[in-house]
Formats: sequence, structure tokens, C-alpha cells
Amino acid sequence: MNNLQKAIAPGDHGWTRREFLYALAGGIVLASGITAGGRYLRPRLQSETFVARMNEYGGNLSGLIVEGVRELGLSPDEIRGKRILLKPNLVETSQGAPHINTHPLVLRGAIEAFLQLGAATVMVAEGPGHRRDTLAVYEESGLADVLTEDRIQFHDLNYISGYTVKNLGGQSSLHTLTFPSLFREVDWIVSVAKMKTHHWAGATLSMKNLFGVMPGIYYGWPKNVLHHAGIENSILDINATLKPHFAIVDGIVGMEGDGPIMGTPKKVGVVVMGRNLAAVDATCCRIMGIDPKKVSYLSRADNWLGPIHESSIQQRGESIASVRTNFNLVDQIPAHRGIRLA
Amino acid sequence: MALKHPHVESALRSLEARALPEGGFPSKSGEPFRSDATAWAILPLLFFDRNHPLLGSARARLAQVQAADGSVSVAVDHTDAYWPTAISVLAWSGSPVHDAPRHRGVQFLLDVTGRHWKKEAGDSVGHDTSIPGWSWIADTHSWVEPTALAMCALRANGLAHHKRVSDGVRLLMDRQLPNGGWNYGNTRVFGSELHQAPESTGAALQALAGLVPYQDIRKSIDYLKAEVGRARTPIALGWSLLGLGAWGNAPKGSLGLILQTLERQQRYGPYDTSSLALVLLASAAPGGILEVHAT
Repeated sequence: MNNLQKAIAPGDHGWTRREFLYALAGGIVLASGITAGGRYLRPRLQSETFVARMNEYGGNLSGLIVEGVRELGLSPDEIRGKRILLKPNLVETSQGAPHINTHPLVLRGAIEAFLQLGAATVMVAEGPGHRRDTLAVYEESGLADVLTEDRIQFHDLNYISGYTVKNLGGQSSLHTLTFPSLFREVDWIVSVAKMKTHHWAGATLSMKNLFGVMPGIYYGWPKNVLHHAGIENSILDINATLKPHFAIVDGIVGMEGDGPIMGTPKKVGVVVMGRNLAAVDATCCRIMGIDPKKVSYLSRADNWLGPIHESSIQQRGESIASVRTNFNLVDQIPAHRGIRLA
Repeated sequence: MALKHPHVESALRSLEARALPEGGFPSKSGEPFRSDATAWAILPLLFFDRNHPLLGSARARLAQVQAADGSVSVAVDHTDAYWPTAISVLAWSGSPVHDAPRHRGVQFLLDVTGRHWKKEAGDSVGHDTSIPGWSWIADTHSWVEPTALAMCALRANGLAHHKRVSDGVRLLMDRQLPNGGWNYGNTRVFGSELHQAPESTGAALQALAGLVPYQDIRKSIDYLKAEVGRARTPIALGWSLLGLGAWGNAPKGSLGLILQTLERQQRYGPYDTSSLALVLLASAAPGGILEVHAT
């Protein structure tokens, strides 16, 4: 076995036979899809994530996020003077089920943190997938009270006219993607996601959260075009094209079981952060007791959109082992089968 | 009888003030023309004054962006997003000058369906995926609101007994949640019953009014009557009032809810044109959206 073959031997890194064959046929893959295919010939990507304990929403979340940003080595110049857009996970609301959505106090913590770090402006924007009345979700989730009090602007992404760009991911049949025109007025897009299981995708974290940026007026409710194009393909396409800048995952209370809506609350007591969304999501999966290599979209993102292997992600803050809290998975749900981390 | 109040009048004036000089409406002041905003804006104007001076130019502008196949998409470079067609048909109804675009729009709605497939035993979703209805976007599945809107458009054009409307009734009844109400269009996924949403419920009730027995939708009416008092946002409130009104169940405090919702623009900022128009329509048509076209 030569060095190249050793480097890409199946099984070593949880690769599938199909990925292995892709790698061997690197030239063909590069010709047909340079974005995803070339990853097997590249050196392994490296990234860092920061895991912080936070047992309740009343804690000092802004201080924690500032600490995380510094631990992750972001320079002040990267944030100073920048226009920051925070994208929470607001799907729908149900009385007694606040764990569906990113908690408003996590948003407040992020707003305060970025302003403290010198951001010029911070705004919050979302286009919920299930409810046509975005303001109803904004209100019932408790976010409206927080942002009104903090005088932070909220934007409804479902109804904003968009701009269309080439789909740089090339995973789905969609040749182009249409993003809200607001994105042309911001410097940073931060995915402020919720730690949840997902009945179609296995887990929904910072990458899947970006479904919500796609305007409903072009993609329908519940983002029908993306579902027909394939959820996993679309997650990869959106992330590859949009290139978000940072992720914060609310794992203080997550959702286990039949997520992203009908699951049950799961207290984990963590916030996970990082520049690279694939790495952040892989770390979140490990905390949830899920093997990220077995979550299809993360496996496909590996070494393309970011690293997902533990050895390629430098862990800062708490160790994964110290905070790992296995999320219940549902046998009946195909996307949950066989993804438990050993 | 329209629910009148100086604050409703003031909101109507603010809607009128958004009209573009070349006809039509933007989604927000200062933005360019949008077909969906224009179609929605026409409806309350039409009800408040059938000879409203803005109607002609708005309807004409809408006709200008209609595609050859009769569809009206949300933007000319997004022809797949044809969901404003049904609202446009409603907006052209009652205007003989716009018979041609209206007929083309009706024909488009009769010809187009969402994507459907035979339901298999053991499917993860609870609803019957084979029933034809209407989708938001071309080549995607049929969902509750676009189906309800298309049914209203066809009913307003004398097609209440067309097979497509009957299929729409079947689809909506199949998507009604066991505990009453509708959401975007899924009933159960992996065995869990999903949550209702007031706006979806109101739209479905509006479309079904007079086409199914009351007892078949009673749970949904009960759900919405319990919810409407909490609604203070334009889409949820607007559709709730239209749906309840269409079944003769408009709550006594409707005007108060409308005023509170209009006032909430101080909290959220000005509503987009479609949302503002929907709240105004609920005040203009307490008996439901089809009442606008009844005469």
C-alpha cells in the first residue's frame, strides 16, 4: 500500500466505500465537483471549538461568549466595527415547549458580547420554517421582549427580497441559491443554534439552522424546495455558498427524542462555540452521544466545509467527556439508527 | 359590515401611502414593486371602496407581471414561486377590465398541482400524499395555505363545485389535525401529532366555509376561538378572524384585537404590506374573504 492509499484507506476515518472510490478517482471527482471531491487529496483541515458549562439561562452568558471568542483566538480587529447578524433557531412555538427554539437569553448574551467586543451593530434575523407568521414566533418565543428591551432590530427573513448566486456546494440539483438582500449589508453571519436531535437529519445544530435564512417567499413553508432537493444536500449547499462566520450552540437545555419539534427537553448545561460550523456541530454531536461520522451531512462535510474528526478539532474549555450527555434516539426514526457514539 | 374605527382608517391611509407612482405596492415603503404585496393590498382597498382610485393602476401593474401561462410569481426571475397567483386572481375579481388576466390566472390554477405520490403503508408522515392540491413553489408538495388560497380564488370565480375545489376540500380535511386545527400541512410525523397554527387554521376554515358540515370542522373552530384572543400579530390574527368570520363565529372583540395588532407596529416597526393588508381585510370583511367578492 503506497502512502496515498494509506492516507485514504477506508475504515480508518469512518469513510464509506463510495467515498473511498471517489478519492481514488480524484481527478474525475475534481472535474465534476471540485468543492466536495477534492477534500480527500487535501491535508486534514483543523479547527478549534470552545465548550463552556452554563447550567442555567440566568448565568453570565455574555461573559462566557466573550471568553469563548478570546479562547478561540479571534482578534479584536475581526469584530471591531463589524455589522453582525445573529441567526437563531426559531421554528414554531408551543406552550410549555421553549426548548424548540434558541433561548432568548442566549441571544442577549451574544448581542452583549459582540457589542462589548466592538461590533458596530448587532441584529437578529430569522425566517421560521413552519409558521407563516414570523412575528408570532418572535413574540411567543420570548425573543421580542428581550430585543425590544435591548433595542435590537429583528428582521423577518421569510419576506425579504433576495439576491441570487451560484450554488457553490453542488450537492443538490439547485444551480443557484437566493439569500435575503439583508445579507449584503452585514459582515458576519453567526448561527446561534439549538442542540437538538432531528427526525430527518439526525441532529440539527449550527449548519442545519441555516435553513432558516432561505426566504419563504422563494422556498415555501416549510422550505419545500430544500426538502425536495434533499435536506442533507441543501444543508451542505447553503453552508458552502453562504460561508457563515461563527457558531454558538445553545445546549443549556436541548431537545432529545423526536426533534426538532416534538422531542423532550434535555438539560446538558453547555454552550458550544467556534469559527467552523462543521467542527462545532461535530463537537455538539459527541456531547450528545452521537457519532458525527454517522450523521450523513456531517460526514460529507468532513475536510471540505470543516473537520469533524476528533483529532482534527482542538478542544478548548471543557472536555467532551466531562459534559457528554447522551440524547435519547428513536429506533423508529431511520436518521437516528446506528448513530450512537460508542 | 366593516369594522370601522379612526385607527383602522389611519392604517388604511398608511397602506395607500405606500402605493408606487407607476402602480402597485412594495413590500415595505421605499422598496420596489412586489406582486404579492400588490395583490394583498388590493383586497382591503376593494372592499372599502370598489371604486378606489388606486385599484386600477395596481391591478394593471399586477397584470403586467403575469406570465404567459397565467401565473404570477413573487418576482419575474423566480417563476417557480408562483404562489401569488391565487391572490392575484382574487384581486382581479370583480373588474371586467381585468377579465383576461383573471381568466388566465384561473386557468393556471386549474392546470397546476403540487407534487403528489401514492401513500405507502408505513409512511413516516400521516397525511395522504396522493391528494392533489396546490404548492407554494413549482414542483413541490401541496400544502394547506396555497391550497386554501387557490380554492378561494376559484370559488370567487364561480368554480366552487369544480373537481379541483373538491380535491382541495379532500386535501384540507385530510390535513386537519385530530385535535382540531391545521398547521402548514403535516398531521403526524413518526407517530407524533404536530402542533396547530392559527394562520393555517384560519385559511383552511375560510376555504372550507359552506363546503363541509360544521361538525366536521367544529374542533378546529373551537381551537381557533380559544387562540384568537391571544393573537396580536397580523398574519395569525388576520387569518383567524377571516376563518372564524366565514363560519359566522367572529369573536365579539374583533375590532379590539385588530386595533391592538395595528398598535403593535410601535413594537415591531411598520408591518410589511401583505401583513398590514391582511389585518385591514379582516376589519373590512368580518364575514370572510369571499364576502368581498359576493356581489
